[in-house]
Amino acid sequence: MNGRMNNRRRQGLGVLIYFLPLLVFLLSLLIGTVRIPVKDLLKTLASPLFPSLKQSLPANALIIIFSVRIPRLLLGLAVGASLSVSGASLQALFKNPLVNEFILGISSGAAFGASLSLVFLGRSFPPQISAFVFAIAAMVIVLAIGRKSDSPTIALLLTGVIVSAFFSALLSLIEFFASPYALQALFYWLMGNLWRASWGDLAVSLPLMAAGILILILMRWRMNVLSMTDEEAKTLGINIRKEKLLVILMTAGITAAATAVAGIIGWVGLIIPHLVRMMVGVDNRKVIPMSAALGASFLMIADNITRSIASFEVPVGIFTSLIGIPFFIVLLKRSKKVWL
Amino acid sequence: MSVLVQNLTFRYRHFALRVEHLEFESARMTSIVGPNGAGKTTFLKCLTAILPVAKGSLFIDGRDIGVMREDERARLLAYVPQEHSSIFNYTVLDFILMGRAAYLPMFSTPSVKDVEIAQEALDFVALGRYAAQPYFQLSSGERRLVLIARALAQKSDILVLDEPTSFLDPKHETEILELAKKLAAEKQKTVLVTLHNLDMAVKYSDAMVFMKQGQVVASGRPDDILDEALLERVYEIKMSIIPYDGRKFIVK
Repeated sequence: MNGRMNNRRRQGLGVLIYFLPLLVFLLSLLIGTVRIPVKDLLKTLASPLFPSLKQSLPANALIIIFSVRIPRLLLGLAVGASLSVSGASLQALFKNPLVNEFILGISSGAAFGASLSLVFLGRSFPPQISAFVFAIAAMVIVLAIGRKSDSPTIALLLTGVIVSAFFSALLSLIEFFASPYALQALFYWLMGNLWRASWGDLAVSLPLMAAGILILILMRWRMNVLSMTDEEAKTLGINIRKEKLLVILMTAGITAAATAVAGIIGWVGLIIPHLVRMMVGVDNRKVIPMSAALGASFLMIADNITRSIASFEVPVGIFTSLIGIPFFIVLLKRSKKVWL
Repeated sequence: MSVLVQNLTFRYRHFALRVEHLEFESARMTSIVGPNGAGKTTFLKCLTAILPVAKGSLFIDGRDIGVMREDERARLLAYVPQEHSSIFNYTVLDFILMGRAAYLPMFSTPSVKDVEIAQEALDFVALGRYAAQPYFQLSSGERRLVLIARALAQKSDILVLDEPTSFLDPKHETEILELAKKLAAEKQKTVLVTLHNLDMAVKYSDAMVFMKQGQVVASGRPDDILDEALLERVYEIKMSIIPYDGRKFIVK
């Protein structure tokens, strides 16, 4: 790539990216329809440790911060990190920088699974289980169709189109059977949203996402070797079947956990790893953890924008698509044999 | 370390590879030659277990390759493919570091020691200055050397090279073969290489294996086995062997 940044600037940027989620998280606590000044925010945050502070707080500040803003930001952070890490991992696994969980149809599989669970098993049953099962089903179809082909890039993208279409059709079928009330909730959730964030939803999804992200980050260097051809990876001493299976289970797991609570938020897993590669190069030792940090920050910022841009909330999934699609078109045009 | 091949068979559609008995000794460079489609690459892919091999047909120092784990095998035997075609443009050093995979558990990253080994391997092929360059910025000759360096980082005693000189100019061709020879002579490695250039094969090899239609036609020291009848049998055209300056040249 022309105009590569020099090493020192890159290192500085790296440190900044790792601190960005914390910074965005804290600043975002100030944003919302009810204005809470910095002083009151700090008091609220300190109040669990110093209960005497609660008396001087404005009405509802505790509820707004602890029951609305913090869970929502935590969800944004975890979903943004999940989608970006799974995107970066799938790109290494499929040796193709244009794929991610959304393009391959894994998000659609997870969304179908979650909808099936929500409509037929009710809200009290965790939708993550069914989402995971169908995310894996989508992955199996992708692997079965896109495996042996002369032009894997295009074949994989087409496979994604097919898988997405298949699960969208199944989803329509569920919508057809759903009650009008359930349908409305389903419709809004499917567009990709963080508004449903509650501690109850987080309690199931957050540990799943955290565990999956952690394992994929631990495999960050291995991802370099897995991005070689299968022949090479094998002769370099890797049990590709075992290691690929682990990556597949983890990416499907975090995609399912994210989709079950936040619906389909597309394109994040494509945009973020690319931005990271442009900044620090293609080494997954940096790409995967940095994608987690940048993806987390990106989704929190995107959610801040969509909930404060108008008097009503725009689903954040619509926003990420509006940014992601032009980005994808540019990448597709630049697409060549070698990446960066 | 020596490699023993015994009753190795592999079938693929209309093609069948069948090698009854071959031994490759350590500190020797052996070249495998033969016309296109003779099964040279298939043979190498069996040796490296890229293709599934039956138990009891391939041994490294008496240990069966067919039942080894990938990482065990990679520590004994390194494979240098003809070309590398990843879409991600890693730096040369990051690329060579991948040769350390067999020594690293799944959830770990290379240590300072691993980086030193990779850098040493790169220095050995005289490309040390390119460590931070992106792989695809190198010329095709340099890329071949980097692929060899990655195999060296595997620290295996056996090196298998699949047509390492194809599409290279005479200078790079010589450079690669000198390097392969040096690895056998100085580092005591068992070097196996497939080649098309017979003159070069005769010049650099300690032993040669002639293959045709999936079978070994002749094997041994070039001086012992090479004659015009063998060449005609293997390649189906007349070739002359002309001695000059203490070497044998093959003229078509």
